Amino acid sequence: MIRFDQVTKRYDSGYEALHDLSFEIEAGEMVFVTGHSGAGKSTLLKLLALIERPTRGSVALAGQNLNQTRRRGIPRVRRGIGMVFQDHRLLMDRSVFENVAMPLLIAGLPREETAKRVRAALDKVGLLEREKAAPITLSGGEQQRVGIARAIVAKPPLLIADEPTGNLDPKLSTEIMELFAEFQQVGATVLVATHDLHLIRRMGKRVLVLDHGRLIDDFRPPVVGA
Amino acid sequence: MNTRKATAPRVKPAPVARGASRSAKPRLNMRAWREHHAYSFFSSLARIGARPWATALTVLVMGLALALPLLLFLLLQNVQGLSAGWQEAREITVFLKPEIEATAATQFAESLRVRSDVAIVKIRTPDEGLAEFRSQSGFSDALKVLQANPLPTVLVVTARENPRENINATPALVEQLKSDAKVDLVQYDAAWRQRLGAILALGERVVQVLAGLLALGTLLVVGNTVRLDIQSRAAEIGTLQLLGASKGFVRRPFLYIGLWYGLLSGFVALLLVLAVQLALGDALAHLLSSYDNRFAFSALGWIPASLVLVVSAALGWFGAWLVASRHLAQGQPA
Ligand SMILES: Nc1ncnc2c1ncn2[C@@H]1O[C@H](COP(=O)(O)OP(=O)(O)OP(=O)(O)O)[C@@H](O)[C@H]1O
Ligand SMILES: [Mg+2]
Repeated sequence: MIRFDQVTKRYDSGYEALHDLSFEIEAGEMVFVTGHSGAGKSTLLKLLALIERPTRGSVALAGQNLNQTRRRGIPRVRRGIGMVFQDHRLLMDRSVFENVAMPLLIAGLPREETAKRVRAALDKVGLLEREKAAPITLSGGEQQRVGIARAIVAKPPLLIADEPTGNLDPKLSTEIMELFAEFQQVGATVLVATHDLHLIRRMGKRVLVLDHGRLIDDFRPPVVGA
Repeated sequence: MNTRKATAPRVKPAPVARGASRSAKPRLNMRAWREHHAYSFFSSLARIGARPWATALTVLVMGLALALPLLLFLLLQNVQGLSAGWQEAREITVFLKPEIEATAATQFAESLRVRSDVAIVKIRTPDEGLAEFRSQSGFSDALKVLQANPLPTVLVVTARENPRENINATPALVEQLKSDAKVDLVQYDAAWRQRLGAILALGERVVQVLAGLLALGTLLVVGNTVRLDIQSRAAEIGTLQLLGASKGFVRRPFLYIGLWYGLLSGFVALLLVLAVQLALGDALAHLLSSYDNRFAFSALGWIPASLVLVVSAALGWFGAWLVASRHLAQGQPA
């Protein structure tokens, strides 16, 4: 599903955020990316979403070399990825419903099907009764869940999340991770960047550890309770 | 109202999506496409309605810029109508020699009336001429000093329109009248007519150039307004692009905003023209009645008026398109 081949990313500032990174993720896997602050986790995810381009090496997604994707092809690639952002990136002048519906509007789904799918996604994150609310009236955790509903509503084959539990309490964090795991169970590939080692340990999924832009570990911890 | 406790079963056990790996591909679904256009159409109206003052200002500036060439066009159209009326009349003023008596003058007039290229012949006797002169010139006191009437008999000949003849050419009739022994002087102001024609042609060109310049002005006004709107929505645009929105999708609401600005300013321009027509209506009616009501004021018709709306809407759309295409390309991440 995902294949990084000797990927190096040097920013315009000259800083090398990723160095000679190679790994592969199978379709349907759930993988955590961890490492210290500045290790390059966000950069890795940005390469997948074509927000940044690698300086050297290649990134392949679903068998397609992203290096060959032209600017015009970027929206198509992104429609295949559900993205959860640490700062939610909700559209503040639109309702919760409209926010979640946006990927379907972009994909050109008819209205009735859109409404059905949006309600299903909101139900899954427990916010069905808030569909008319403005995002600004929601708590941070609720906004994050709206963001997750928006990421999964179009049923993308790949879900990537950058610090999705950044400032949530442990209970809520666990619930959100279980949502991701559930999404994996129905066949999606899930990639989560996080600092939260406890959470990673509890989930018992594969972990990629970055250190100063290098891959220093790739392991699967034993499950410690659930 | 939705406390954390109340939302306890936040994560529902999965009666889950069949085939999560089947992504929502952008289907070429005409209905959805139409729906998005309709959605953009109304949501963009709501968007500019949310800033009524800024919108009103923009629309007024654009409306004024559109009204100006319209008013000039209207003026020109009416002057052209008037001058056409004059040209149609093709009046030739024939001053007979002073020694020609009234009966001879009447005979001469009769001989002209039977000609095929003459429509009307009016006789103004010296007495009529003097009376007219007295009433109009304000010289009535000075005229009292005169012992005899110095004015000759005047024939006002209206030539019949000959479609094969160039309207600006001097009719052969004029030359024949000039060479007649009974005639002292023939006044046929061809040069004046030609000059008027040239002035009108120039006026037409001025209106065209002005309309072009002001259309450019409205494009710039729409463009600038939409540019500011795009800048203030940079975060939203970035998010939409991350969600996989195509350039067209992101651009669409801005195009509709441009369309609305154009349409509204077209209405403003029409209202301005209407107001000017009303304000000048009385004075114009007065002026025209002095021309024996031969000319009627021609207002802006339905077809030109709806054309104004179409053109203004197109200008708004195009101005927004120019700016949106440029700025959204620049703002695209990666
Ligand atoms: N646009 C940029 N220009 C220059 N340097 C950048 C840019 N983005 C990131 N960096 C640098 O690249 C390095 C890796 O950044 P990245 O955001 O990938 O780290 P991270 O692992 O996500 O860190 P954190 O846990 O704090 O989010 C950092 O040192 C950062 O300063
Ligand atoms: Mg980061």
